Amino acid sequence: MTNAIVADQLTYAYEKVRAVDHINFEVAEGEILSFLGPNGAGKTTTVKMLTGQLRPQEGKALLLGMDVVKETERVQARIGVCFEITNLYEQMSAEENLHLFASLFGVRDYDAGAALKRIGLDGRGKDRVETYSKGMKQRLMVARSLINTPSILFLDEPTEGLDPVSSETIRSVILEERARGATVFLTTHDMVEADKLSDRVAFIDGGEIVALDTPHNLKQQYGKRALRAQIMDADGSLVNREIFLDQPNTAESVKELFAGEQVVTIHSEEATLEDIFIQITGRGLVG
Amino acid sequence: MNWNSIRALVVKDLSLFFRNRFFAFTTMAALVAYIVIYLLLPAEVDETLRIGFLVDQLPEEFTQQLEAEGLDVFYADSEADLREAVLEAEVTAGFAFPEDFWSLLAAGSTPGVEAFFPADLPQEAKDIYVLLLKELTFTMIGQPLNIDVSEEILGEDLVGKQIPLRDRMLPMIAVFILIFETLGLANLLSGEIEARTLQAILITPLRVRELFTGKSITGIGMAFSQALILVAVTGGLSNQAGIVLLALFLGALLATGVGFLLASSGKDMMGILAWGILAILILILPALGIVFPGTITDWVKLVPSFYLVDTLNRAFNYGISNQLAFTNLAILLLVDILILWLGITALRRKIA
Repeated sequence: MTNAIVADQLTYAYEKVRAVDHINFEVAEGEILSFLGPNGAGKTTTVKMLTGQLRPQEGKALLLGMDVVKETERVQARIGVCFEITNLYEQMSAEENLHLFASLFGVRDYDAGAALKRIGLDGRGKDRVETYSKGMKQRLMVARSLINTPSILFLDEPTEGLDPVSSETIRSVILEERARGATVFLTTHDMVEADKLSDRVAFIDGGEIVALDTPHNLKQQYGKRALRAQIMDADGSLVNREIFLDQPNTAESVKELFAGEQVVTIHSEEATLEDIFIQITGRGLVG
Repeated sequence: MNWNSIRALVVKDLSLFFRNRFFAFTTMAALVAYIVIYLLLPAEVDETLRIGFLVDQLPEEFTQQLEAEGLDVFYADSEADLREAVLEAEVTAGFAFPEDFWSLLAAGSTPGVEAFFPADLPQEAKDIYVLLLKELTFTMIGQPLNIDVSEEILGEDLVGKQIPLRDRMLPMIAVFILIFETLGLANLLSGEIEARTLQAILITPLRVRELFTGKSITGIGMAFSQALILVAVTGGLSNQAGIVLLALFLGALLATGVGFLLASSGKDMMGILAWGILAILILILPALGIVFPGTITDWVKLVPSFYLVDTLNRAFNYGISNQLAFTNLAILLLVDILILWLGITALRRKIA
């Protein structure tokens, strides 16, 4: 499998603040990579460099084998970008917005109706965007990013602050795009979303990638798995018990639990990506 | 250049411009108002000068000489009437003669004459009236000034065909329409920067040069079309239409460059209005010099719109030589290119 995205020593600093510091990673074709990190970690700056909006001060980025700086036009013709901040023409209708960008991408016979139906906005295409809710606008942003059937899709915090329906619609579209063969570069600080969608996740903190692997491997490497049980003791009161998995005596502890106690409830617990992020960086994803 | 993309941008910009009710209304209302004001102003200039006299009777020879000088005589019944006629601008000057004026004059005495002038009459004009009166009275007592003055009018003699105020105003209105469009264009651009829609546009295959080509076409189109409607309705194309059209086009280019500069300087509509009004005031100054001759001096040639105003004024009202038109428009083109370059550079920095 060839790499759709190659970041090689990418670096960018805003005056004295180094936003992205010599980061390296690759994203394979058809893969979903999530960039996880708190606000100001360097996620958006990385997206800007990868999409040709910012020129890297050091290093280079290759998209589909093309240097982003040297072949910006060709690269931008084959990518789709959904921005963190809504930037639609609010006084125009959804259809007008989509048709404008279809013209700019040189897409002929663009079917705005089908695109709107796909994101659950059918019937609202002729309404001005200024009348839309935040979730509807974000879905329209996603539809806009798909106009040119991109080989690589960049989604910068696509579901942040959205209602569950809108979030789920966008997640479905992301998975459909992956199924089509598109590569997806997703930045988020929603670890549940990243866990659900991603083939791999990269933790970025202070402009550096501090971990990059599949969610499963990260949990295996950094997380603790446990069984949590609620038991009833002799006098009828409920007591919580925790048995850590992957320990030498785990099997014995589980046998003991079921042999000697009256188990009321039991469930397994895995470390979340946020737990792992905290473990690696010493701070949370939010803030 | 991808002309399909540029066309899509221009259509979008025009659509957005006319969806902004404030700019759409003010643009159309202003254009209609300018045309109506032009049509309401008198199309001819009243060239007669009226002088008031408080005197029993002027000798016929005296009145004949006054008429020969192009003056119309008004006889007041009393000094109060004469004063009122001057104050109400019914006459440009009033002279009150003593009752025995002619007999005193004939006797070699020096009778006193009271002259009344309106407050805004220049001193030079007052002196001319007094001199005229003295000359006439000398003549009346048989002592004509032995000077034979022959007149030569340099250029076209405009006696009987003075340029009415509305035609002197026409270049100013045309320039105002052109320059006013800077606000609309700047607001459109600034709105796109603020809403980050330019960011979305620039991540498509559209190039920055195509973006500015599209914006320039929008700016020039809006400014030029309105100015064209104005001059077409007011008859401004009846003389030297080619030069007028070229001047208006270069004026629209100037407005577009200024619009880019304003968009790069103002953060929001209020900021743009603040800078925009300053720019409009500066650019309109040369036109004020035509409406109110003698009010400005040569430094106004440093204002880029001077070359536009001068060309339009001469073409509308006097006829302009090809050589002067070429010089004016060449200077205007150079200034346009400079301002457009400055505007695009500043705007690119802001977008980045």
